[in-house]
Amino acid sequence: MSEDKVIVVNKGMVRADYNFWVGRYLDKFFDNLENKKLVGNKCSKCGDVFVPPRKICGKCNVVIPLEENWVDLPDTGILKNYTITPYRVNDRTDRKAKDLLLGMIQIDGSNTAIVYRLLNLKPDEIKTGMKVKIEWAEKTKGDPSDIKGFVKM
Amino acid sequence: MGRQVAIASAGFSEHASKRSDVNMAELVSEAVEDCLKNAPGVEFDDIDAFVNGNMPAFEGSNMPELWMTDWMGARNKPLLRVTTGGTTGGTVAIAGYYTVAAGLPKVDTVLAIAFEQQSQGDTSVGLASVAYGEISVLNTLGIPYDQLSRLLSAGAAIGVAAYQATNYMAKTKITEEDLARVVVQNRHNAAKTWWTHLKMPDLTVEEVLDTPYISFPLRYGMVCPASDGACAMLFTTEEKAKDMCEIPVYVNGVASVANETAVLGYDGSGSGQIDPSDQIGAMKSSDLAYYQAGISFPRKEIDYAEVYSPFPNQELMWVEKLGLFEETTAPKMYESGVTSLKGELPINCSGGVNATNAIGASAMERPAEAALQIMGKADNQVPKTVHTSIGHGWGGSLNLCTLMVMSDEPKRKWR
Amino acid sequence: MEKVGIVGYYQVKLHSDANYGRYEMIFEAVRGAVDMAGLKKKDISTVISCTNDYYDGRTISNCFTVEVGGGYMADESKVEMDGAHAVLYGLMRILSGNHKLAVVWGGSMPSCFPYHSTRLFETDPTWERPLAYVNDITSAGFQMRSYMEKYGVSAEEIASVAVKNRKNAAKNPLALAEVQNSSINVKDVLASDIYADPVTELMVAQPCDGVAAILLAPERQALNITDNPVWITGVGFSQEAYYLGDRNLYESKSMELAGKTAFESAGIKDPKSEIDVAELFEAYAHEELILSEALGLAEKGKGASINSEINGDISINPSGGATGGNPPCATGLIRIIEAARQLRGEANGYQVNNAKKAIASGQIGMCAQNNILFVLEGGN
Repeated sequence: MSEDKVIVVNKGMVRADYNFWVGRYLDKFFDNLENKKLVGNKCSKCGDVFVPPRKICGKCNVVIPLEENWVDLPDTGILKNYTITPYRVNDRTDRKAKDLLLGMIQIDGSNTAIVYRLLNLKPDEIKTGMKVKIEWAEKTKGDPSDIKGFVKM
Repeated sequence: MGRQVAIASAGFSEHASKRSDVNMAELVSEAVEDCLKNAPGVEFDDIDAFVNGNMPAFEGSNMPELWMTDWMGARNKPLLRVTTGGTTGGTVAIAGYYTVAAGLPKVDTVLAIAFEQQSQGDTSVGLASVAYGEISVLNTLGIPYDQLSRLLSAGAAIGVAAYQATNYMAKTKITEEDLARVVVQNRHNAAKTWWTHLKMPDLTVEEVLDTPYISFPLRYGMVCPASDGACAMLFTTEEKAKDMCEIPVYVNGVASVANETAVLGYDGSGSGQIDPSDQIGAMKSSDLAYYQAGISFPRKEIDYAEVYSPFPNQELMWVEKLGLFEETTAPKMYESGVTSLKGELPINCSGGVNATNAIGASAMERPAEAALQIMGKADNQVPKTVHTSIGHGWGGSLNLCTLMVMSDEPKRKWR
Repeated sequence: MEKVGIVGYYQVKLHSDANYGRYEMIFEAVRGAVDMAGLKKKDISTVISCTNDYYDGRTISNCFTVEVGGGYMADESKVEMDGAHAVLYGLMRILSGNHKLAVVWGGSMPSCFPYHSTRLFETDPTWERPLAYVNDITSAGFQMRSYMEKYGVSAEEIASVAVKNRKNAAKNPLALAEVQNSSINVKDVLASDIYADPVTELMVAQPCDGVAAILLAPERQALNITDNPVWITGVGFSQEAYYLGDRNLYESKSMELAGKTAFESAGIKDPKSEIDVAELFEAYAHEELILSEALGLAEKGKGASINSEINGDISINPSGGATGGNPPCATGLIRIIEAARQLRGEANGYQVNNAKKAIASGQIGMCAQNNILFVLEGGN
């Protein structure tokens, strides 16, 4: 392709708002989260506990009924994995900023992991397998940010 | 090369303008459950592969089939995603057919799923963004993007359909009553089908005409709704279908021939269609699919049809382009009852897209309902015996089309 | 599975910011592939494209590409995954007996959209997406740490993969110029900026602009079109669980299942000894090791022990792999083209001696959630 071609660049902004229905299982989960409580649900076939709760157990392909098998979960868990990144990504762009410490935490009593910030920790203090505990947001809203992050227990 | 494919079951979720009680994944699982419910004896273990599709601009979610793996029952199974805009449902169904027809190792039974949860986004942005890239040339003339967006909202789906309508009406010399009649028939039919959106059993032509114009000749009362909903179809081999259902529906012909883009043709992509009611892509698709299915006289050999018409003028245009009626005679067929439930060639007894339009799912719901009519299991079942039916889809920049020809006998011809 | 022939292909030179438009690039690729086969537009029976509405910034991203992609009055459809999955659909259309020539093309231009943001749109919108902690960058970090801690693999061993691929890319004229580096070493890779610890920037396959196209035909037609067809003899694909917490990131269950089906259908009993070339889509250096192990080319955790250099035990990514340039929607398709090049003896500068059987892979989703594997055999 010729290097001295003139390329015209048009920039413009069109706004598109999206709002996602969370469904009734997550509805109940977020209501509890707003009260600083974690709940999950349990597959009656294999016994796996999911947090956040799910309608379907992927291993067994069965429906977990909406009114059944709810499990109250503690604030504590084990750090299964972690990473440290300078990148911040949002719906429109990505940029580099101060390091973000993120962990994959398996809440005690559950069979999956959730990803949240690790707070009040320096990179060399983080070890896979360490016990961690939720630090809740001051003002909860009933959305994922109600969990501010996890701290070392 | 290749083998016969049969449809063993079809299922739907409830469709509504806002399915606020479920997230996308749960909406899809409803259709999957309904499909398997209609094929008792088929378990998730029996499903060898999945095909999934929707029109992603409407939910603001990219490749959502990755997230909803478990909700489809697809964990650790082969999965393919196809999506082509308005024809998505049709292309998902056709991809489901090809996945079985190809005879891939260990793949005999395929679940095809198409869905849309339009209430999550802004439908007009989803539609208009077809052409942002193309109209950006107008930006250089000083028209800012948000104004162009409004131009496209009028120009998108409804605008181009209106353009199609005026072309068609000029050829056939019909009136707005003819258009309203199609709407009334569809919405009456929808009232008798459980999963549909706009159930209007008492709608009259006058009521349709008593609504304001959106874009001549299309009035507000003639236009399809925006729905949330999902559809699933089960494709399998000739041998296995016999154990899965009483009347397997054999897919004898498929085609999705593309035309050049309409009106907003970019200088690199073609001259654009002058008359969007020509639809030579649809005509070629029907030639191809009918040939595969061994159909020489569609008007006589096809017993039932579901065509994709969010706007009533399109229904009249499609039934002619697909060879069911002579050009310009469709309006009379509707007037005289030929296309009604008890008529010689019933069309869209499910209410069609005019009554329910979850865009990603709509083009699959056409072959799904057409298949159910052959099985005798449609909610609004026609009284005559249906041996051969067709399900059609349309979309893109007026240039994409899908067609599936089905029958209760395996008739696929291989060259 | 009946043999399907690859009878033509074309890949545009990769650029981080190509100085030309989308339609011209698509036309160059499809026309180039059709010309290579010595065929005409009229010969095209079906066209399968691979693009992504969010990457292209437009809905129905295939509808305006009908003309440039050779799809006018052809039976056309679109896959929205990796280009390798589109090749699968083209393959299925040929195997069905309905079509005699399939054109498959795919690609995108990341210079025109925010790549990481659009990857964020893949995440669970009801739970993960609002906080954006799970994205393609952090997933890479989790995957590499999981692999290193499970098997005791060192960062140096993983960095060696990046070194090998960047050196290989330097021999591949179509690879991304920024990546081509014949004098790079492990220290350089480890010293590059942190991407998501322990992944560093030079371990990442960088998204870039690119489009590629390939032509498929049934056996009889393929033999009429070219003297040197490459046969697809096996394929397998699989999608694992979505949530990172549901998966073992140190292995690839989906590649294990895909490989098993592909090898069985191609009659390959011992891939380690029977396969000469592997072109694997590795989004990060550590992924090449994880995927090789999943395919049985090494025991779990021992991927680094394979001599994967050109003309080693098994040449892995002689073209540079995805590290040599990762045009989303084309990368897996390019792996298939590169494997075909090797089998036809056309990989000038990075040719593997006596390449008779090859595998090529594509992937989509975080940490390669869905993998597809093709087995290819040379005609001669």
